[in-house]
Amino acid sequence: MQTVAIMFFQPVADPTAPPIYANDTTLWQHISDSLHQSLMSVLSLLLAILPGILALILAMGIFTLIGMALSAILRRGLTAAKFDERLARNRGSLDWAPAASPTALVARVSFWACVLLGLVIGVSAFDASYSTATMQTGALLPYLTRVVGAVFLLIAGTLVARFLARSVLIGAVNAQLVYARFLSLGVKWLVLVLTAATVLDHLQIGGVVVELAFGILFGGIVLTLALAVGLGSRELVSRSLEGHTDHAADPGINAHNNIPEESIRHF
Amino acid sequence: MAAVDPISGVSVPPASTGSGLLVLLAAVPADERQSLLTNLTEAFPNQGLLIASPEPFPDLQADLAASIQFVSAPASKINWTLTAADFVNAWQLAEKNQASAILMLGPDSSSLSAAEIHSLADAVLTNATDLAVAWYELPPSAGLMNSAILYPLSRALFASRVRFPLAPDLGLSPRMAQCMANAAQRFAPSNQSETPIWPVNEVSQAGFTTAQFPVTPRLQAHPNRPDLNTILPLVAGSLFADIDAKAAYWQRFRPLPPPFQGLPSLDSPAIDAATEIAPMLQNFRLACVNLQEIWSLVLPPNSLLGIKRLGTADASVFRIADNLWARIVYDFLLAYRLRTIHRGHLLGALIPLYLAWVASHLNITASGIDPERHIEEVALAFEAEKPYLVSRWRWPDRFNP
Repeated sequence: MQTVAIMFFQPVADPTAPPIYANDTTLWQHISDSLHQSLMSVLSLLLAILPGILALILAMGIFTLIGMALSAILRRGLTAAKFDERLARNRGSLDWAPAASPTALVARVSFWACVLLGLVIGVSAFDASYSTATMQTGALLPYLTRVVGAVFLLIAGTLVARFLARSVLIGAVNAQLVYARFLSLGVKWLVLVLTAATVLDHLQIGGVVVELAFGILFGGIVLTLALAVGLGSRELVSRSLEGHTDHAADPGINAHNNIPEESIRHF
Repeated sequence: MAAVDPISGVSVPPASTGSGLLVLLAAVPADERQSLLTNLTEAFPNQGLLIASPEPFPDLQADLAASIQFVSAPASKINWTLTAADFVNAWQLAEKNQASAILMLGPDSSSLSAAEIHSLADAVLTNATDLAVAWYELPPSAGLMNSAILYPLSRALFASRVRFPLAPDLGLSPRMAQCMANAAQRFAPSNQSETPIWPVNEVSQAGFTTAQFPVTPRLQAHPNRPDLNTILPLVAGSLFADIDAKAAYWQRFRPLPPPFQGLPSLDSPAIDAATEIAPMLQNFRLACVNLQEIWSLVLPPNSLLGIKRLGTADASVFRIADNLWARIVYDFLLAYRLRTIHRGHLLGALIPLYLAWVASHLNITASGIDPERHIEEVALAFEAEKPYLVSRWRWPDRFNP
């Protein structure tokens, strides 16, 4: 590379051309050296972590295979031993889903335990090779672990948001709240905003700006919901209070529907 | 009077040869204990009685003291139905005292007459019946959850004509009590001993005999908080879980026993249907707007279309077709089994549909149709749609328009 640069900048034999000063040669020499050094350092880093990457892949592959074998053996063994029936007889109805019988659960847990073990061993091997190489460069790979954590946070937050939104929607509809959907959306976005702020904080992006923006946004949503629900549910609250008063005075009144118990009895 | 439906072909343990009747009482108000005791002594004048109650009873006269004994029984946390813990207690007491029959009387049992108490226990003591169940005379607007879900499901799937599958007054033979206790024991490890359990389902699966006895108007115990949002998920969820656990049994076709010539519905003050159904329809219409997304995860397009049409129907002509209701309940049962959505959400989403059925039922009865006839038609629709349930239970991923 150095040779190419020298040849490229070789002065042509032109008598009218201005003389080449020694300083120019030195500048290009420095640039070329820098490029050469950085290329070499990246290549050496790659060479240093390559065994670690291979070890990670190898460990994952081997332990996945072991997990599959162990899972199959356990599944067959437990099925032959009628594990599900025995457990149901001894421990009663534990409300197993059809796709997650105790046998299937044990087999899956063993498989994923092996995969996890492979991952831990692989990452340890990778870490060992990486730490020797990091003498030379920055912290890109540690940041990747944060990204993985952030992805998990995002998935968990989205699931929680959806669960809470459905709970609020169904509860509000059964309480005959006309703004049930609005309430449900409000709760969903509250959780999503909280999740987004947590993810950004975890990724160390934004710093104080994120905290400030989150505070403003969260407070805004809460205030909007409080105003909407407070103004919209005045009738509901007064009805509920009246219902309680009537109920205390006359035990034959159903507080929920404000219907005399003797007229409609569901149970 | 009783309709006995023996189901043969299943080996059963031998009946106990003990003597004496064990009467297990739920909580009775202090001022009603004396009248209940009088009814019990009238019902069994020459019979040794062992009364188990959570509360102390008044002192007995000398002539009664020889034949009646009292034992203390733990009080149930749920006061409106029999729970798993009650059945475990009943069996433990019966086994300890070698009882030849067990009579379980629910809350407010002082309103039962001596003859009714006698008929429930006598069926077990002398007629070799394993389960004697009360058939209550209720007004058309009472026991609606039973009429909409519990009775049709239990009849279609377990081939039983017991009209009140969750009746609080029961007569049990010792082997039936043992069977119920075994079923109840399953809930103990998971700390669910206050869960309702289903005697009719157990008796059908065990192949024991059942009889029903009419009970004239009785004070019916109510949950402390008569909140439909709590009661329906609890009761329907418990029944769905039991059906799920007994799937291998009910998927086979079984003939129904002959019909029981029961009581006509109790005459009650006419209900102003328009006023009563208005809040129910309001709830249903609100749900039609907001819960479509959740219902679409559970119901097939055909049922969703039917519900959408109902959402725009006028209150005076509001009717849910019996087969549509049967399919809705079956689809919710399937979604419960498959955990399509969280079970709490699922049963919560069933409430507006149930209220729509109640509104439809009240409209039908207000038009002069006998409520028992309508409930019978609903039960027949559940029987007719059973192949749909069995098919989707076995192949849930099959195309379902």
